[in-house]
Amino acid sequence: MTTTALKKAAIPTRRAYSDRMAEYGAIDSDFAVMDADIGYSTYSYLFGDKYPERYFNMGIAEVNMFACAAGFAANGRTVVAGSYGVFITMRAVEVIRSFICYPNLNVKILSSHGGLTAAIDGVTHQATEDIATMSTIPNMKVLVPADPVAAGKLFDVSFTSPGPVFTRLMRDPYYEIYDNSASFVLGGSNTLREGSDITLVSYGDMVFQAVEAAEELARSGISAEVIDAYSIKPYDAETILKSMRKTGALLVAENHQQKNGLGYELGILSLREFPVPFDTLGLRDTFAESGDYYKLLEKYGLSSNWIYKAATALVARKEHRNA
Amino acid sequence: MNSNTKPDPAARIQRLREIAQQVRFHVVDMVHHVQSGHIGGSLSAAEILTALYFDILNIDPDNPRWPDRDRMMMSKGHACPVLYASLALRGFFPLDELHTLRQFETRLQGHPVIKTPGVDMTTGSLGIGFSISVGMAMEAKLSGASYNVYAVLGDGELNEGVVWEAASAAQKYRLDNLVAIIDRNNLQNDGVSDTIMPMEPIDRKFEAFNWEVRRINGHDMQQVLQTLEEARDFRGKPFCIVADTVKGKGVSFMENQRSWHGSPPNDEQYRQAVSEIQGALV
Repeated sequence: MTTTALKKAAIPTRRAYSDRMAEYGAIDSDFAVMDADIGYSTYSYLFGDKYPERYFNMGIAEVNMFACAAGFAANGRTVVAGSYGVFITMRAVEVIRSFICYPNLNVKILSSHGGLTAAIDGVTHQATEDIATMSTIPNMKVLVPADPVAAGKLFDVSFTSPGPVFTRLMRDPYYEIYDNSASFVLGGSNTLREGSDITLVSYGDMVFQAVEAAEELARSGISAEVIDAYSIKPYDAETILKSMRKTGALLVAENHQQKNGLGYELGILSLREFPVPFDTLGLRDTFAESGDYYKLLEKYGLSSNWIYKAATALVARKEHRNA
Repeated sequence: MNSNTKPDPAARIQRLREIAQQVRFHVVDMVHHVQSGHIGGSLSAAEILTALYFDILNIDPDNPRWPDRDRMMMSKGHACPVLYASLALRGFFPLDELHTLRQFETRLQGHPVIKTPGVDMTTGSLGIGFSISVGMAMEAKLSGASYNVYAVLGDGELNEGVVWEAASAAQKYRLDNLVAIIDRNNLQNDGVSDTIMPMEPIDRKFEAFNWEVRRINGHDMQQVLQTLEEARDFRGKPFCIVADTVKGKGVSFMENQRSWHGSPPNDEQYRQAVSEIQGALV
């Protein structure tokens, strides 16, 4: 399945977030940036080149980096700290929980290589449990931009939302979803395409996969509503519920373990508020492997083809139930 | 505040020694009262905390979040009874609040939290408080602030790898506003530190990380005070004090006993401990 509607993005979201961070250095002259020796990968060096006195390369030591960030923030200074998702949400998770989230400190987390977007780097560098760990911690907010415009704007949302905020970014550029007029708020979502038969909710790179699937579904006579749930925590329950009440079916697709991701969250929302035929796509309790992003998504059941199939099945279930 | 006129040196030491015994009393008293808490590692740090809170630290109990105050991280957070006793005696909160240690809705949580008056940062997961102190000292440098940051660590805590990540960062950023005090009592939860995970030579390890190091008797108040004063004013490098101490110090039957790491005394042990503490100066 290939898209004709979307334009290729020129830069990955990690770059767009850091571009905005470097610009933001002129807007806010206090905040500091830390990296754990992957500044040329997260692009945090762009801030460091402009503001060397406020940029700290903490070496390959993520636990110490986040504890030091907590020390800065406890003194009242906001820090953006960056690394790869696996190291942030696994190695440093205790520091983030007990010493950033528990005291509710202003540490903003730049987390690159989300999901299988770290494709060719292999499993050790693919953060596929990050949304689960970060969403579970009280006081943490979780954002996932779908494209470069969203990444720049969500930097601002992150920076201006009090307390810790985790932003999941992608290794590689995919497609442009937004133009510069798009707006983003904490707890918000954007409905990219209106539909009447099924609600597709996704975030990050899976947004373009959902848009592609919706185009293909339209060709089969199924009208899919596509929602970019860029704010995972808090999530936009109002918009998603309203859409479910309209379409009567919900499919969540995420580049993450199926367990404890947004799909589980919205499945519970549906059970509590408005039960509808529901499914969720994600990694099925398995690790992936190195390889081309598109091939991995196909093999592990996350591509637009899989979204198309799952959506078709849900709509059939809905119609069977209504018959 | 340390700007008060100082009494003559002998009287100053004598006063601190007496306060250290009051700190010990409150440690034993609160842990006995609530039948929970870490006594052994609190008693070993009584002189260190007393010298800090009653002489060295530039702090104001009436304004605990004063931005220019010295910072103190109790990195060995389980030994918070000695921290809470010191803070209460120093006037940060009422002494009778000590009996709420670890109890429902208390400000004196099982491990220190930032919301408690006088506590500069949440600590308790070993190694991390030290690492946070490095971040605070870096931030103070960036702000051009003149205060110092102190961190009290246990020797067992040095097992944590993050301690050495933090020690590296401290030398990289030349944090001469940072003082680490190691409460070297050679006992940790499961037994003798030298056996569980040998860390010696601790002083030479910190020297190799380009810290300025002194090794002292952590119960000799004169040495403790003099070395802290030297550390406070030292410039050019971060400063580490390895304080050789005795776990359970000041209560004969608790000294050097692993079992007093985290157990409370019964009523009879409590009476004996109090009479030993009140009858002597360490």
